[in-house]
Amino acid sequence: MKILMILGKLSLGLLLIMTVSGVSSGEVSMPEIPKAKNNFSAEQSCVEPIDLMRREHGLLLKHYRHDTMRRGIRTSEYSLIACVNCHVTADESGNYPTVHHGSDHFCRSCHTYAAVNIDCFQCHTSKPQESFSSDMEPVQSD
Amino acid sequence: MEFWTAFYAISFYVATFILVFGLGYKIYQYAVTPAPLKIPTTPAPVTTGGVVVRLLSEVILFKSLFRSNKWIWLFAIMFHLALWIVLVRHLRYFMDPVWTLVVLAQPFGKYGSFIMLFGLLGLLARRMFVKRICYISSPSDYLMLFLLLTIGISGVLISFVTRTDIIQFKAFMLSVLSFDFFSWQTMPTDTMLLIHLASVILLMIIFPFSKLLHVPGVFFSPTRNQVDNPREKRHVAPWAVKKFETSSAPTTSE
Repeated sequence: MKILMILGKLSLGLLLIMTVSGVSSGEVSMPEIPKAKNNFSAEQSCVEPIDLMRREHGLLLKHYRHDTMRRGIRTSEYSLIACVNCHVTADESGNYPTVHHGSDHFCRSCHTYAAVNIDCFQCHTSKPQESFSSDMEPVQSD
Repeated sequence: MEFWTAFYAISFYVATFILVFGLGYKIYQYAVTPAPLKIPTTPAPVTTGGVVVRLLSEVILFKSLFRSNKWIWLFAIMFHLALWIVLVRHLRYFMDPVWTLVVLAQPFGKYGSFIMLFGLLGLLARRMFVKRICYISSPSDYLMLFLLLTIGISGVLISFVTRTDIIQFKAFMLSVLSFDFFSWQTMPTDTMLLIHLASVILLMIIFPFSKLLHVPGVFFSPTRNQVDNPREKRHVAPWAVKKFETSSAPTTSE
């Protein structure tokens, strides 16, 4: 009985805390993901369904890299360049966000949120082709 | 509001409530239970500072276990230390922005999970194949190992094989933490994630009723937490004073 009394009081206290913090809490923080420039097709917004992209994009890129680098098969199917071209957008003053810190870059917005490292851009560029001046045109992939 | 979102959110509240208050009550109970005898296992420290060192070496390094059985110690330390790293890694789902320490722990936690599973399998093998241990093992002993193995294996599978939308999951977890009742962010419903979370919730609920109480319990074990000073300071349990020493009651030591 004594235990029940103590538990009863404690639960009342917890309920109070919950209501107070429930009132004070605003929106849950979510990553602010920049919108892509185009849809992939009329039926599909990205190269694979969104649910799959959210879960497996890392694997797709890794397997694509393996095919390209080890086996010499270069397609435009899951090309990182195409990802970056479509997804990385400039702000109002025409500047492209950096991928190395902050959370403005398309990849960074979620990767910072979930504390996941991105290795891609230690070698590859994180900015779309349109951002380069003509004298330093990057190599076309397809 | 999706069914699973509400189901898991409410389960998390219930489980956390049981874990926190159940554990709190057990700690209170341990703290007020009298230790009538002076029984530190000698050689024991003769100062309070020495006892702190002894308890810490017990809690962090499992010193007694190391002295009594090397291979059990090896599995135990593998499991417990790796569990710490894995827990630190999981903090990323509960905070935004994520602390630098937690960011740095990510790759270690990811591979630490294998060490954790290896340790668990070793402890399970001990329970099953060491005859003396097998004889005294109750279903509850197996249940703890089974739950931890389920958590570990499903977690590794989510990390390396069948992934889930961790962004959506973190949003769900943060909305649960900020008590957004019935306006929680929708949680992803990948099977492995549901299994992972269900077994975590079960473990949280069982915690204050099971042998997992060795976590707070180790701090209260009289053979480890007492100072070896019976001659300098008389050890008396308060209830003994009242009953047998009516005149000139000595000062109680602890």
